[in-house]
Amino acid sequence: MLRPEQMRRLLIAAPKGEIDTIIRELYRHNVYHIEDFVPESESPEELSIGHPLPGASDAASALIDVRAIEKACGIEPDNVEVREKIPASKVRAMIQTDLPAIQKTVKDLVAKRSDLEACQKKYEQRLKELEPFVAFPLDLESYRGYSWFTVFTGHITHDVSIDVPHEKYFSDQVDGNMIVVVVQNEHREEVERTLLDAGFQAVPVPEESGTPADNLKAHAEKVRKASEGIAQINKDIEKIRDRHTDFLVACDELLTADVERAEAPLRFATTEETFITEGWVPDDQAASIQEALKKATGDRIYIQELEIEDDARVPVEYENPTFATPTQVLMDIYARPRYSEVDPTLMVAVVFPIFFGLILGDVGYGAILLALSLGLRKIVKGDTGRMLLKVLSYASISSIIFGILYSEIFGAALPWPALIFSRHLNIGGAAGGHGPQVTELMVLAIWIGILHITLGRILGMANARKLYRGKHATKAAIANAGWLGTMWGILLMIWGFYAIPMMPDLTGLPVVAMGLNVAAMLGVVLLVAGILAIAQENPLELVEIPTIISHVLSYARLVAVGLSSVAIAMVVNYIAIGMIIEPQLEAITPVGVIIIIMGILVLLMGHALNTALGLLGGGLHSIRLHYVEFFTKFYKGGGKKYNPFGMKPKFTEE
Amino acid sequence: MVDVGMTLEMVEASQMGMKALGAGLAVGLTGIGSGLAEMTIGSAAVGATAENRDMFGLALLLTVIPETIVIFGLVVALLLLF
Repeated sequence: MLRPEQMRRLLIAAPKGEIDTIIRELYRHNVYHIEDFVPESESPEELSIGHPLPGASDAASALIDVRAIEKACGIEPDNVEVREKIPASKVRAMIQTDLPAIQKTVKDLVAKRSDLEACQKKYEQRLKELEPFVAFPLDLESYRGYSWFTVFTGHITHDVSIDVPHEKYFSDQVDGNMIVVVVQNEHREEVERTLLDAGFQAVPVPEESGTPADNLKAHAEKVRKASEGIAQINKDIEKIRDRHTDFLVACDELLTADVERAEAPLRFATTEETFITEGWVPDDQAASIQEALKKATGDRIYIQELEIEDDARVPVEYENPTFATPTQVLMDIYARPRYSEVDPTLMVAVVFPIFFGLILGDVGYGAILLALSLGLRKIVKGDTGRMLLKVLSYASISSIIFGILYSEIFGAALPWPALIFSRHLNIGGAAGGHGPQVTELMVLAIWIGILHITLGRILGMANARKLYRGKHATKAAIANAGWLGTMWGILLMIWGFYAIPMMPDLTGLPVVAMGLNVAAMLGVVLLVAGILAIAQENPLELVEIPTIISHVLSYARLVAVGLSSVAIAMVVNYIAIGMIIEPQLEAITPVGVIIIIMGILVLLMGHALNTALGLLGGGLHSIRLHYVEFFTKFYKGGGKKYNPFGMKPKFTEE
Repeated sequence: MVDVGMTLEMVEASQMGMKALGAGLAVGLTGIGSGLAEMTIGSAAVGATAENRDMFGLALLLTVIPETIVIFGLVVALLLLF
């Protein structure tokens, strides 16, 4: 909690004869994060990168085959539900016996399908070329093969009259009209000019024989047959997918494991007789993995625990209570925490839903989003997507709670007055109670901002001591305190001069000097001390001082975005119900019923749009307040992801 | 500069109108500002996402950063009106 999981750095050395056993054992435990060996100029000459274990290339090529079949059948292992685990030995046997047959069938089907697709395309193209000629009762042969005559065929804007002896067909039944003109060669240029003046565009005559209409029919038949064949093949492939998905994903998993194991030595340093690997294991697993390795190799292994020198090299794994784990996705979008700094996931997990609720506090929208997040959980299969849906479901529960407090359902009021501050705008003259308490809400948002940023700065001080060493750590901590002092100094000064609702009124305190009262004076002292504290770390930082005000004011979005969503909801209600539906209800006529249905459509569309806007606005602005206003105060990020060597078998079992 | 032809109610009504105009200008102009800023960020974000799907979350976030401008406008408008 508030810290990433503690790691230990292990160095493992063993004779090459044990490499297979050790890799197997490490892979099975799935806790060891390998630090890749990179040969550098200063590393001893005897050390070189290891060679893959025997069988690596066989496994790799088999894996490529399996992946190709999966791709052809449209199987995505990440999205496949586990039905039953298949024993690894059975899968291995089936790879020898069944896989080649499946591969051949799929390959044949895919090849046949692409042939048919090519054929379909070819005849579709011919159909297109033939279409303009169907309008004329001429055989296709009669368009060509003349030495004394020229044939013009093409689209034209309108029919034209030709002054020289000629034969002409015109049709306006075709898209863009169609004209065929046959003239003697000597009149060719003259006729061409006449035609071009009428916007003539030549269309080549298809290289076929027979009447266009018959050919058209024949081609259409071929296209139909090809698409039927394609549909049949798709059905066959689907059958294969239904029958073999379980086996294929099991193969994929098993072979992936084989390949990863076989290629592990590429990440180790080796000498002629031994190999060395460095890596990381979580603190609580360190003892058990060492024990297991010693047991598996019969003590023919040397394991040493090394000091952690540079925290940037340590892989980072989150350690959070269960309800906060989905929020880790939001952290990863920004950056994973560094090993030694505070992990703010828990704070985000608590504050994010509250912000979301403050913005989109509406029972109706909250319920829709909750239903959506629960419903989509069955459809969305990726891990990240599911985590985000969980975050959304927490956020929408918070939205429902705030909706009860604000007394809002789809922009309308619930049967009780707002329990905290009212956001009911006066749209369409429907306001009840005492109207929106915008000022109070705004001050509340500013308070949230002040506290959130204060928390950020305090964490900044804590982080400074962990991230930096010696003098720099003290300086950074003092600078953070300086930012805090500047902010509170400005606040004290404001409070000393102006009375603001819901904030301490310090205007009545006795005046000390220069027209400043005690609070304002204290504010000035804090401000000056704060500025000095910031400047001692880096004077350039002083240009950032205006952000103190803009960041705090930025929290006003909690109210502003929320109010705009309330306004949209109320406007939709007013237009749909007040302006369209209600007037029709007074005297129902057949036309009135249609108008009422339209009104209902407007209502549904409007609220659907507002739900989407609310989700986007509420979600993005809440997380943005964290990323931009909160994290910039203390959070460095940039930790490496802890990626243990191994795999949790999903489809197979040993 | 008191116009003799105006009653107190008329002055008050015209003040309300001015406030509404001011609020409208505050939201409208800041909206244009946000739009201009998001235009370039948005096109760059789409490009980045096309190159690398993982950028989507970050890109979406970067795109809404200038929204602060219009939110300040909205805050000013709300303070003017209420």
